[in-house]
Amino acid sequence: MFRKALLLGIVSGLLAGVAGVVYARVYYSINEADFSRVAGMVRIIAGSLVGGVLAAIGFWLLNRWLKDKGEIVFNLLFSLLSFASLLAPIAERLPRDIDTPELFPGMVIPMHFFPALAWFTLKPLFIRK
Amino acid sequence: MKKLLYPLLAVLVLAGSAFTFIAAADWKIATGYSIGFSGGGDVGGAFKDFAGTVVFDEANPGAGKFNVTIQVASINTGNGLQNKHARSDEWFDAAKYPTIKYTSQKIVKTGSGYQVTGDLEMHGIKKPVAIPFTFKKTAAGGMFAGAFTVNRNDFKIGKPGGDVDDNIKVEISVPVTK
Repeated sequence: MFRKALLLGIVSGLLAGVAGVVYARVYYSINEADFSRVAGMVRIIAGSLVGGVLAAIGFWLLNRWLKDKGEIVFNLLFSLLSFASLLAPIAERLPRDIDTPELFPGMVIPMHFFPALAWFTLKPLFIRK
Repeated sequence: MKKLLYPLLAVLVLAGSAFTFIAAADWKIATGYSIGFSGGGDVGGAFKDFAGTVVFDEANPGAGKFNVTIQVASINTGNGLQNKHARSDEWFDAAKYPTIKYTSQKIVKTGSGYQVTGDLEMHGIKKPVAIPFTFKKTAAGGMFAGAFTVNRNDFKIGKPGGDVDDNIKVEISVPVTK
């Protein structure tokens, strides 16, 4: 169970990271706001991967403790924590030489939902009950 | 007539030299300037839009003149929400007072550099402010650098106390070219 969850976490994290990088490129081409110094490719992929692995650990632990209700609680928690994590980019203080910090949350906030989105999308392929 | 030619030439050369001397004291503000401020904790930022006239000669600082303007809306704290808050009527009120102006009255040489005394107009209030500064010649022209503290309550910016210090440290570095 843990092996499958971990694999799902890694794959969904990587997928979320790739989606995040693509979204950052699109965002840059639309707004010409370059945040690559604070949210570059490596940081986006690493952040998404960490999110996926933490989700895998959380999923495994909740399923062990709560049995059948574990997944329900996990889904709820994953969504809530993704939502709560939006506070981080809103409060983020960027270097002074970045001219448009107003546009930073608009780029990063959607990315905070990508790991959960990828997890929920890919889960039926990895874990079937 | 011939007798007058050389004295006239001398006068013209001297007059020309005088203009050259005046022009030499004028500096153009180059890109890469920094108008930063900090007010305790993580409060800080910079103004990105700065312009004006700078007349300064190390040999004759008393004849110098600074007349500079900062666009309040160009404030950048590094955080979008804080920028909006700083521009609002709770702080700088950029809509009503769009610029910060500094006009020098007197420049004197000091032990460690120079000191300019002038009027700082901010948030609709004008107060005399002295700014110690240094000037260093560079390959491209020169570099002015100075730091001073301003009490935001003197200009009725924000409410006294709170998370932001009353005394705001301002650090300026301005590269200039001829």
